[in-house]
Amino acid sequence: MANQKGSKFIIPIGPQHPALKEPGHFEFTVDGEIVTGASVRLGYVHRGIEKATEGRTWVQNLYLLERVCGICSHVHAMAYVLGVERLAGVDAPPRAQAIRTLTAELERVHSHLLWLGVAAHEAGFDTLFMYSWRDRETVMDILESLTGNRVNYSVNVLGGVKVDVNDALRDTILKGMDFLEERTRHYLNVVTTDSTFLARTRGIGIMTAAQAEELGAVGPTARASGVARDVRVDAPYAYYPSVDVRIVLAQAGDLAARFVVRIQELFESYRLIRTILDNLPQGELEVRVSRRIPEGETVSRVEAPRGELFYFIKANGSDKPERIKVRTPSLCNFGTVVATAIGHKLADMPMLLAGIDPCFSCNDRMVQVIDQNGASRLWSWEDLVRHGIETYR
Amino acid sequence: MKMGTMLGDVIQSLFKPPATERYPFERRAAPERLRGLLRYDPTKCVGCQLCVRDCPSNALELIVVDKAAKRFVLRYHVDRCTFCAQCVVSCRFGCLKMTNEVWELASPDKDQFILYYGNKSDIESVLARPFSRLVDGSAEN
Amino acid sequence: MNAISPLLVLLFFPGGLFILAGGLAYEWVDRKLVARFQNRIGPRWFQPLADVAKLLAKEEIVPDGVHAGLFVGLPLVALAGALTAALYVPMAGLKPAFSFTGDLIVALYLLSLMTLCTGLAGANTADRFSLIGATRTLTQLFSYEAPFLLSLLGPAIVAGTWRIDQIHLYAQSHPWLLLTQPVGFLIAIVGLMGKLELPPFDAPEAETEIVSGALTEYSGRGLALFRLGKNAELFIGLTLVAAFYLGGLVNPLAFLLKTLGLLFVMAGLQSLFARLRIDQTVGLWWRYGALLALAQLLVLIIFRGV
Repeated sequence: MANQKGSKFIIPIGPQHPALKEPGHFEFTVDGEIVTGASVRLGYVHRGIEKATEGRTWVQNLYLLERVCGICSHVHAMAYVLGVERLAGVDAPPRAQAIRTLTAELERVHSHLLWLGVAAHEAGFDTLFMYSWRDRETVMDILESLTGNRVNYSVNVLGGVKVDVNDALRDTILKGMDFLEERTRHYLNVVTTDSTFLARTRGIGIMTAAQAEELGAVGPTARASGVARDVRVDAPYAYYPSVDVRIVLAQAGDLAARFVVRIQELFESYRLIRTILDNLPQGELEVRVSRRIPEGETVSRVEAPRGELFYFIKANGSDKPERIKVRTPSLCNFGTVVATAIGHKLADMPMLLAGIDPCFSCNDRMVQVIDQNGASRLWSWEDLVRHGIETYR
Repeated sequence: MKMGTMLGDVIQSLFKPPATERYPFERRAAPERLRGLLRYDPTKCVGCQLCVRDCPSNALELIVVDKAAKRFVLRYHVDRCTFCAQCVVSCRFGCLKMTNEVWELASPDKDQFILYYGNKSDIESVLARPFSRLVDGSAEN
Repeated sequence: MNAISPLLVLLFFPGGLFILAGGLAYEWVDRKLVARFQNRIGPRWFQPLADVAKLLAKEEIVPDGVHAGLFVGLPLVALAGALTAALYVPMAGLKPAFSFTGDLIVALYLLSLMTLCTGLAGANTADRFSLIGATRTLTQLFSYEAPFLLSLLGPAIVAGTWRIDQIHLYAQSHPWLLLTQPVGFLIAIVGLMGKLELPPFDAPEAETEIVSGALTEYSGRGLALFRLGKNAELFIGLTLVAAFYLGGLVNPLAFLLKTLGLLFVMAGLQSLFARLRIDQTVGLWWRYGALLALAQLLVLIIFRGV
C-alpha cells in the first residue's frame, strides 16, 4: 500500500494508533517529513444511537443520550432535556437550572484538564500529563460527591434535576476550585513559557479567522482564531442568562493559542462555578412532566467543552420520540485538521489532532457508503436493511 | 522562554508520597451519594411498575405474588443496570434506593447478577415456580 | 584482572551476565525515578526482568517482505556490540578486562553499533512507521555523535592518551573533570541521552507519532534483545561518563554512587522537557552542541599548549 514513487508516502494514523484514543482514520501523504496531503475517514464508532432513541421512551432516552460521549455526557443530556421541556411547554425551576449549569461547568473543567494532559502526552511531555491528570482527580471527586458517579452523572430528569447542593458540598466545591485555580495558573505558566513546549506549539497549525469561518469551526478551536462564537453568550440557556459569561478569545490561531484559550476558559469556569454557588436560588428541584410529549419540533443548542452541540428533536404526541438528530462539535472541527495539516511536519500531526480536542464517539452519527464506481449516495434505513440481508444471505 | 518549568513540581514530588491510591490494599470511603447497588423495600410497594417502565436498560422486573395483598418480588439484573437512579426518582413511595456500600460488582459468574428482593416466603414461592430460573422475563405469570 | 580466563570475563564479569543484570537494574532505577518525579509509584524491582521474560516467551513474528536473516540477526549483533564495549570500560570500579591504545574509539563505535543496527532493522522492514523511525534514528545518530565523541575526547586530550584505563587513572588522580570541563560534561550527559533515545530526544521512537519507530515490527525475542542492548548501553554509557568526568571509579561503592547520581540527574532531565521534533534535535546539536564541544576542545588544546 505504500506508494514509494517520487518519495511520496502515505502514513496512516489510525484506526489503531497510540496517538488516538478512539478509532478514526487519517491518511497523510508525506514527502520525507513534510506533509503534502491529508484525508480523514470516520465512522468507526457508529453505534446507531439515533435509531435506538426511536424505540425508547423519553425517559429512557435521557440515559441513552448521556452515553453518546463519556467526557461531555452531561451537556448531551442537558441539550436533550432542555429541548424536551420546551416541547412539553414546561420550565424547570431555577434551582434545577442552576444545578444543571453548575454540573455543566464542572464538566467543562474536567474536560479541559483531561485535554491538557492528553495534548501534553502527544507532545511527549509526560510530566505535564501526569500532573494535570492528578489535579483533575479533584474535580472528579467533586463530581462524584455531588452527583454519585465520576462519569455519566445522570443529574437530569425530565423537568429538573435529581441532586441538590447542601452547605458541606458547597464548601468542598469551593475549596476544590481554589486548589485548581492555583494549579491552573501554574499550567498556564508552563504552557506559555516552557521553551521545549513552545517549540512544539507556537506557529503550528495556524488557522486564520476567515478560514475558521469557512470551515465552520466551533468551540475553543474557533475562538483561538479570533472567531467570537460561544452558545452561552449568543443564545444563553439554562442558568446562563443570570450569569455573565465572558468569551475567551485569542488571535494567533496556532496550537499555542488553543492551549491558552482552553486554560483561560478554565479560569472562567471557576469564576462561574463560584458565582452560581454564591447565588443558588431557592426552590424545588423538579416539576412534573407528562410522559407523553405533545407533537412538535425543536432545536436545542448548548456549548459543550468542544464547541456547539446541536440537537434536533421531533415529537409525535406519543411516549417515544419521532426523530432525534445529534450534531456534535467535533464533526465541525475535523475539517480544520485536514486543511491546516499541509506544510507541517509529520511529528506535528498528533499535536494538530489533539489541538481540536477530537471526540470520535460523539461524532459518528451518519454513515456514508462509497460506491465502488466512485459515485456515493446516502442510504436510507430500508437500503441498510436490504444490504444487511443480502450480504449475509 | 524558560527551560524546565515543571522543576518545582518535580523536586517537590521527591518529598511527597505518590498521589497513587494503592487500591485494593487501601480503599477510600465511598461518597455518600455514590450510586451503588439498588435496594428495594417491598413493604411500601404498590405495584405501579413505573420503575420497570422507566428503566433504560430493562434491568427490573416486578413479579406479582398477590396483587390484592400487595406482595411483590423484584427481580433485579445487576449486569443490565446502568446505575442511573431513574427508578429511585420514579418511585413515588420511596421503595428504591442505591446504596453506597456495595459497588465492587464484578463477578466471573453470571448467576450472581440476578437478585431477588422481597419477603423470604414470596421469593421462595417465585423460585419454586416451574421454569422460574429462566432469564429475560419469561418467568412472569 | 587479566588473569581471569577470558571466557569467564565474557560470560559473567565484567561482560555478559553482569552487564545484563546491571542494565536491568539501572532500567528499573530510571523508571522508578521518573515515576517519583511525576508523583507516581513506579514499577517494582523485578519489572524489567519480568518484561524481558515475558518477551522471550512470546512468539517472534517475522513480517512479510523483510530479509529474514537480517531481521533475526540484527538484534543479536546490537546486543553483542553493546556487551563487547563493556570489556574496555572500567566496570564496577575495577580495571577494564582488556585494554589497548585507541580502545576509546573502539568502545564508542561499539556503542554506536547498537543505534546503527536499530536503524538498519527499521529500514529492513517494509512498514511505513519503521521506515520513518529508521530515518529518524539515523538522523539523530549523525547529529549527536560528533559532539558526544568530542566531549569524551576532552578528557583524552588532557590525559594525553587514547586508552580508557589510562584516562581513568588520570581522572582518579586529578580534580574532577566536571569542574575543569563543565561544558564537556554537559555535552557528555545530554549526548548520552541522545544516544539512548531518552526523552526529550525520543523522536525516533515517538510513541504518539510512529508507534514504536524502527522497532515497530519486532516482538518476542528480537525486541527483548534490543531492549537488553539499550539497557546495556545505559549501564556502560553511565560508567564511561562517570569514569571520565566524576573523578574516576576507584571501587565498587564509588561506582554505584557516581553512576546512580548521574542516573538521577538524567531521570530529572527526562521529566522536565517536551519531546523535540527530529529537525529541532538536529538543529540543537549542530548549532549548539557541536559549537560548544569545539569551543571546549579549543580551550583544552590552548591550555595544554600553554
